[in-house]
Amino acid sequence: MAVRVPILRQGRTLIASIQEDLSDGDILELQSRVLEDVIRHRATGVIFDVSALDVLDSFGTRTLSDIAAAVQLRGARMVIVGIQPEVAFSMVLLGLTLADVPTALDLETGLAMLGRAA
Amino acid sequence: MDDIIASSAGGHGRPGGHLADQLRWFDITETDRRQAEALAVTADELAEPIIEDFYAHLLSFEDARRHFRGEEQIARVKQGQLKYFRELVSASLDEDYVRNRRRIGQIHERAGVTPTLYVGAYAYYLHRLGHRVMAKMQDDPAHALPLLLSLIKIAHFDMSQALETYVEAREATIEQREREMSELPTPVLKLRDGLLLIPVVGTLDSYRARSLTVKLLEGIRDHRARAVVLDITGVAAVDSAVANHLIQTMTAARLMGASSVLTGLSAEVAQALVKIGVTGEALRTAGDLQHGIEMAERMLDG
Amino acid sequence: MMAGLGLAPEQTQRIERDGDVVAARQIGRHLAAEIGFSRPEQALIATAISELARNIVSYAERGTIAFATVERDLRQGIRIVAEDRGPGIPDLHAAMTDGFSTGNSLGLGLPGTQRIMDEFDIRSIPGEGVTVTVVKWKSR
Repeated sequence: MAVRVPILRQGRTLIASIQEDLSDGDILELQSRVLEDVIRHRATGVIFDVSALDVLDSFGTRTLSDIAAAVQLRGARMVIVGIQPEVAFSMVLLGLTLADVPTALDLETGLAMLGRAA
Repeated sequence: MDDIIASSAGGHGRPGGHLADQLRWFDITETDRRQAEALAVTADELAEPIIEDFYAHLLSFEDARRHFRGEEQIARVKQGQLKYFRELVSASLDEDYVRNRRRIGQIHERAGVTPTLYVGAYAYYLHRLGHRVMAKMQDDPAHALPLLLSLIKIAHFDMSQALETYVEAREATIEQREREMSELPTPVLKLRDGLLLIPVVGTLDSYRARSLTVKLLEGIRDHRARAVVLDITGVAAVDSAVANHLIQTMTAARLMGASSVLTGLSAEVAQALVKIGVTGEALRTAGDLQHGIEMAERMLDG
Repeated sequence: MMAGLGLAPEQTQRIERDGDVVAARQIGRHLAAEIGFSRPEQALIATAISELARNIVSYAERGTIAFATVERDLRQGIRIVAEDRGPGIPDLHAAMTDGFSTGNSLGLGLPGTQRIMDEFDIRSIPGEGVTVTVVKWKSR
């Protein structure tokens, strides 16, 4: 399967920028790559940019929570950035609150957030 | 029996919709109509003095007096009433009649004639008429009584038409008001860079709550806001459904990366929130708007 | 308009692998946009489809999702029917309770979907499959 989501590196922060609607398989593939990269690059922060997504359903949300928890176990912090208004709206109606994952408006705010925490 | 009740209850609002059923419900027969009509001449003769008495009675109430602007108007209203009672006795009780009665009911309702005034006036008229008819027909009371009883039935039917219009008018007013309340625009105010204030005013039904959420979220995106103050001082009623909507809205704001503070909660609302399991941790609140804004500013700076 | 009579040819997406889930929600989203649903409503519809399609992949392996435009009282809407020939749901009541899950899901799928759509109907015969029909009406 082609790599659909490139993981960029900025200092010790990894940035996964999701550019298209992903299947469950794509998301799981992304999960294992992110976790490998966190270790390989001794990353302290991970940013998931989902601003291009127009759907984030229960599977996607749960997987993001799982990734955040695993990232934390590896000593790094994860921030999800760019959840769009309509996506946030339907997530909440569906009962998906991502209570345990920090969120930020966009990449810039997300980076600032990780910078403060470091 | 059930079907009569159902149809007479369901018939209101549509003049003549189930007229036959309504007449059946009031047990008004052809005989009743004939008997009421037999009173026409007598009632006609008696109507004027009764109405004179009635206005003397009416005008002894200060509240009622204030409704009239002068003798001329009183004379005009008396004429109207005379006609009203005359029609009652000789009514064909058809759909035109019902339409006309309902129209008059609407006029009364708009003019501020309350059901009490209306029914009271009716009772006054029927009572006086009864006495006078009995007096006039004292040689033949056995004949007079059924005539009066039939007239009373028809009068009740007549009253029901007017009262239905009262109810309809009130319902329409309430609906109108609710619609206005729910159509109140919700402004999204930018207090400073990154900080929005949303004063929510009016009723918050689920439709409006959803559009509030969408507006707030779009506001966050458009203004790149990081903190939001949601002020519900002006929300008419906050039940657990509304509280749920507010929490959903604030959760959605958090998903976008904005923190929010809820201000303007009354003690009852705070109770309602506790009841649905909301804790201070999940929901940041401040006693009043000023404190809420200060709290939000600290979140921005912190 | 054909849709008004409910005669519009239905669009159907086969659901066999998780790529089909993506395809289904995209079809639904496009149709919702065509009907004139607002962007937040389009997102809700796409999310509901995603949940229904995933249930098919997770529990029944294969099934279909059909999309249609519907109309009632001058109001337009979208109807989505998710159908599979899987094992069925033994306890529908439990499946409709928040937090319930027997498989690879968060357990919010069905009750969540019911919350975000206007109409929701689920039928399941153990051993024969599940049919979920949902409708969303355009807000006036």
